[in-house]
Amino acid sequence: MSGPRYERTRRQDQHLIGFECQACGWVSFPEEKRTCKRCGDAPAEMTEVQLQERGEIQTFVVQQYLPDDIETPQPVAIVDLPQAGEGEPARAYGLLTETDLEEIDVGTEVVARFRELFSDGERPINSFKFSVPREEKA
Amino acid sequence: MTDPHVVGAGMIDFGELYEQSFDDLLESAYLSLIENVDKGVDPSDIDAAWYGTIDIANEGSSGSAVAHATGLFETPITRVENACATGSDAFRNAAQAVKAGDAEVALVIGAEKMTDSTEGLIASAALERLWRGRGVTMPAYFGMRATRHLEEYETTREQIAEISVKNHENGTKYPHAHQQFECSVEDVKESPTVSYPLNLYDCCPVTDGASAVLVTSEDRAREFTDDPIRVAGYGLASDTFQRGAPEALTNFPATRQASSQAYERAGLGPEDVDVAEVHDCFSITELITYEDLGFCEEGKGGQFVEEGRPHLDGDKPVNPSGGLLSKGHPIGATGVAQIAEIFEQLRGEAGAVQVDEPEVGLQHNIGIGRNATGAVSCVNVLERP
Ligand SMILES: [Zn+2]
Repeated sequence: MSGPRYERTRRQDQHLIGFECQACGWVSFPEEKRTCKRCGDAPAEMTEVQLQERGEIQTFVVQQYLPDDIETPQPVAIVDLPQAGEGEPARAYGLLTETDLEEIDVGTEVVARFRELFSDGERPINSFKFSVPREEKA
Repeated sequence: MTDPHVVGAGMIDFGELYEQSFDDLLESAYLSLIENVDKGVDPSDIDAAWYGTIDIANEGSSGSAVAHATGLFETPITRVENACATGSDAFRNAAQAVKAGDAEVALVIGAEKMTDSTEGLIASAALERLWRGRGVTMPAYFGMRATRHLEEYETTREQIAEISVKNHENGTKYPHAHQQFECSVEDVKESPTVSYPLNLYDCCPVTDGASAVLVTSEDRAREFTDDPIRVAGYGLASDTFQRGAPEALTNFPATRQASSQAYERAGLGPEDVDVAEVHDCFSITELITYEDLGFCEEGKGGQFVEEGRPHLDGDKPVNPSGGLLSKGHPIGATGVAQIAEIFEQLRGEAGAVQVDEPEVGLQHNIGIGRNATGAVSCVNVLERP
């Protein structure tokens, strides 16, 4: 699998940029949208917002069975990424990396780390994974 | 406008049916239906059909597959795909057409050939799409609700496991169920971890299956049986945790919406439901569904099962058939089979898993799609007329 799909949201993927609905405050990430998934406003007025690199785990699992090319155990979380300014966070899936399983819980603070996520067959696809901030590690 | 009625149901034994092709499954379910209509049905009476499958076997199984399996080549046949709500949505479409008077005798047939798939759901869940849950398999998707439910409420691991224990016990009494064994709470807790916090016995098996039902108008129902079952209501809705609602981390707002649509159409509420077949693809899914259907308060699903209320002898029996956990989950067939089971229950024909004289039955599916970011739920309510 390769090609243009990774170019479409490349700026958002690499710079954590979201889009806030001016009618209800919902934040789209990473897609730049013209309709709102929460209030249904269409066309919606969406304003670009910067997301923070520090987020919070809302829930998670630890994957034991995955295709051979994905390392296990693989913790995967739903992470809230707050805006740099005022407003609601964006909510997205995040893979965890460089983190002990014992460090992960609902509410754990995580920081975005720019990593190669996988290869599209020709070149690496880079975006963010998440880990527990280093200074909080014992 | 007329009230649609279910007048017949057919079901095959679910399992790893290596000797049967996808077409064989469809043919068997269709013949089972034809042979089980009380007063008989002439295939030429069938004037429309809806076919539920997600075609996981990748056979290009459009509506014409049903024509090939049944001989109904001149009849309009529509394939429906709506994730794990595929079979129930096929039924809903048929009920709508009959209600509108456009179809008079509608076939609903669902089938899935799960064991021919070489990649399966695990590989398909690992699609390389950024922020769309690369590595979020089905057990991971539902397991995330378990993690959060355990954290947020007084839910215990044992309560979640008890659902699997209950459904496997029911399944041993239900002739069409795939996995015919009993297990204990300890067995569930000690089975291998699939996706923490869910273990192997928290997961439904990989199963082939097919089922079919016949839906007709109130006027024509008694041509086929003296004991028809009325379709009282139905609902369908989608949701995603990406909308940011806190309840979407522990529960399924799509189920709440679909069930409130169905209750409203039926003029009934959760307190009126006497028996339910719900989507227990994983143990936690059923626990959440008790809450989303209004069988208990939010956060009290664990207590609900610990008190024995959804058990076969409880006041709100859920999944007397053994559910997906025991019976299996051939995706397109699942919802149609649940309708067949509710039909049997309301007619008092459910044998060893018959509950005490139910008047109202509910069928529910919750499915996920769009690389594990979307949820879709379908709910159908049936009633003795
Ligand atoms: Zn909005």
